[in-house]
Amino acid sequence: MNTNLETFKYDNRIVRAFAIATVIWGLVGFSAGLLIACQLFWPDLNLNLQYTTFGRLRPLHTNAVIFAFVGNGMFMGIYYSLQRLCKARMFNDTLSWINFWGWQAIIVSAAVTLPLGLTTSKEYAELEWPIDIAIAVVWVVFAVNLFGTILKRREKHLYVAIWFYIATAITVAMLHIVNSLEIPATAFKSYSVYAGVQDALVQWWYAHNAVAFFLTTSYLGLMYYFLPKAAERPVFSYRLSIIHFWALIFIYIWAGPHHLLYTALPDWAQSLGMAFSVMLIAPSWGGMLNGLLTLRGAWNKVREEPMLKFMVVAVTAYGMATLEGPMLSVKSVNALSHYTDWTIAHVHTAALGWNGFLTFSVLYWLYPRLYNTKLYSVKLANWHFWLGLLGMMFYVIPMYWSGITQGLMWKQFTSDGFMQYPNFLETVLQLIPMYKLRAIGGTFYLVGAWIMAYNLYKTAKSGVFVTEVEVQAPSLKSQPEHPEEHHPWGHRWIESKPMVLTGFALVAVAIGGLVEFIPMWIIKENVPTIASVKPYTPLEVLGRDIYIREGCVGCHSQMIRPFRSETERYGEYSKAGEFVYDHPFLWGSKRTGPDLHRIGGKYPDAWHFNHMDDPRLVSPGSIMPRYPWLLSQKLETNSLPARIGALRKVGVPYPDGFEATAQLNLEAQQKKIVENLKQGAITNAPADREIIALVAYLQRLGTDIKVKPAAPAAPGAPAPAPAVPAAPKTAQLDTPNQTRN
Amino acid sequence: MIKNVLTDIGGIGIYGVISICLFFAVFTGSLFLSLRMKKSVADRIGALPLNDGQPVVKGVIHE
Repeated sequence: MNTNLETFKYDNRIVRAFAIATVIWGLVGFSAGLLIACQLFWPDLNLNLQYTTFGRLRPLHTNAVIFAFVGNGMFMGIYYSLQRLCKARMFNDTLSWINFWGWQAIIVSAAVTLPLGLTTSKEYAELEWPIDIAIAVVWVVFAVNLFGTILKRREKHLYVAIWFYIATAITVAMLHIVNSLEIPATAFKSYSVYAGVQDALVQWWYAHNAVAFFLTTSYLGLMYYFLPKAAERPVFSYRLSIIHFWALIFIYIWAGPHHLLYTALPDWAQSLGMAFSVMLIAPSWGGMLNGLLTLRGAWNKVREEPMLKFMVVAVTAYGMATLEGPMLSVKSVNALSHYTDWTIAHVHTAALGWNGFLTFSVLYWLYPRLYNTKLYSVKLANWHFWLGLLGMMFYVIPMYWSGITQGLMWKQFTSDGFMQYPNFLETVLQLIPMYKLRAIGGTFYLVGAWIMAYNLYKTAKSGVFVTEVEVQAPSLKSQPEHPEEHHPWGHRWIESKPMVLTGFALVAVAIGGLVEFIPMWIIKENVPTIASVKPYTPLEVLGRDIYIREGCVGCHSQMIRPFRSETERYGEYSKAGEFVYDHPFLWGSKRTGPDLHRIGGKYPDAWHFNHMDDPRLVSPGSIMPRYPWLLSQKLETNSLPARIGALRKVGVPYPDGFEATAQLNLEAQQKKIVENLKQGAITNAPADREIIALVAYLQRLGTDIKVKPAAPAAPGAPAPAPAVPAAPKTAQLDTPNQTRN
Repeated sequence: MIKNVLTDIGGIGIYGVISICLFFAVFTGSLFLSLRMKKSVADRIGALPLNDGQPVVKGVIHE
């Protein structure tokens, strides 16, 4: 008998709490997704409420799925597997519960603030600054608990799943902090410290790697633990997992700029992103094959065990998504796919297949063990599997069809050289049947999830919850050194030194970011300045904030790529120097509606007024929701000085004391717009309504480069805001980093 | 102010070369380390998820 055996207990309570939260938030996130999917063919489904428009609910859906559903699923899997892999209880139970309740509080605050329009507009980082701070605190609590558990472990060796957990913990902290640097203007309004191109680069470095290190590495860790567990055999190749881990975390971090191909981002950064994206196939497929080959000789179990069915589809979806992602990062493919539903199809292959199915798999495996019973119904689990799979097919295939259709229609010219579909709306109306099919797919997926919830509930009812599991393991100090493991500089050595492993992982993920950022931050030439580009006027600032509040960026890009098909449709392509005062940038990533970067001056003020009141009045068949509240709600101007002050702090050159005259400046511009509206037969528009500010902002968009360069404005002073700008004149621009097609 | 110190981005091509070299180094490094690991060690470590610790049968605590 080993006298060095220590007795301790695994904590199942925290695992169960996260499991329940995973199921509940999954249902919420899928429901929100289905609702906004239906709004795309039934725009009145927001019931004329400002809190339920597509623009406000889309970030609610993405945040609910990513941070609530997958986030809780990740914690559930980590809290279960980490204890068992370390042969130790979690470091501190109090920290575990702060992690749990803190995370739920963050999710609830997101669910409240996003419909209220309190958003930074940066994708997957929409939450405003107080919640950002809370996220950082809770994440640190999680990291302390993770590392504390690792340090008090009774297993000398850190299994590969734990390396992935470590990479997740440190990288997500780095991404979140760097991307969330912002200056608060009010209690729930802040401005990003980065502007334009820099903001875009930081944001997509963050968003891409949120996918990498929140949705991927954490779940790869779960795969490496739960797949061998369910298959009852070790991972196919432990050596392959070493290459998988290091190559993946090193390469992933570089690939962010592939979200910005053909934009105003400098060419070298785009090429870097593309090259590393293609390289990413190697480690990703290494991991997928390692997972699937773990089932060698156990495929008969896949037939019988629902958990393994979900796992196999999840790992396969991971392989498909990680092949498709690099393909979409090739510039010539991206030229067609970007801004279309093809991207939506891609992310849902990963979200529904990889994250969704892997979460379901772990839940089906865990529940019977947590309750010391059998799964209530294998038949229902099989129903869930087939409904989920069918739902994915009905979702993804129509979205591919839709994306390729629209991408081709945007680029189609007649034999005489004119645009075949000059009206953007024509290309949207073609997609409506696909949007309906997508909603059917979403319904299947949601019904499947409800069946799972019922099945898990009945499983819990049929068993007795095992709150703690008492086990024994020898203490770390008492374990003999295996002579064959003596390789002082081998990977075995790194794996037994958690802090060394963490240090190497940190270096690996930091290098890519630094190589991308340093030139962008310190080399002036990366963002060529344009003399006629001036800061927004006070009214335009408030209008822009309304644009952000309403989530317009979810459907409208502000980035015209240098393609003839885009310059013909929208006007002069976008230049990096035009965005130097855009805190945050609003380039967008999807065109459900047309690009708006050159919308300024394209239509009279009255057109915008009527369009926002009811888009179908001026664009029959439009799928944009109505925004009647903009016509009735009074513009909030009390915070204007604070907003001007915050913008100055992040680098917008408003002259000192400008706050004092900002209100007068604002009122003068309001009056001018009201006069313009009268010319458009709108005689009863009060000047102090939100719509006036939004019109001011929209009419300013993309017009600065059309202003003659000899504008006699004082340095740093805000430009006068022409409601109808001067005729286009773009020849003076220097665009060294752009390529034309 | 630092923007005025470095005003040229000449030779930016070196970034591509550095990137490839770094990738090559990381990839070959991890390949080298993984091949260096003895099969017996890799097999033992790879089976870690299958061992949750020695159960204490009496110790299962129910709610």
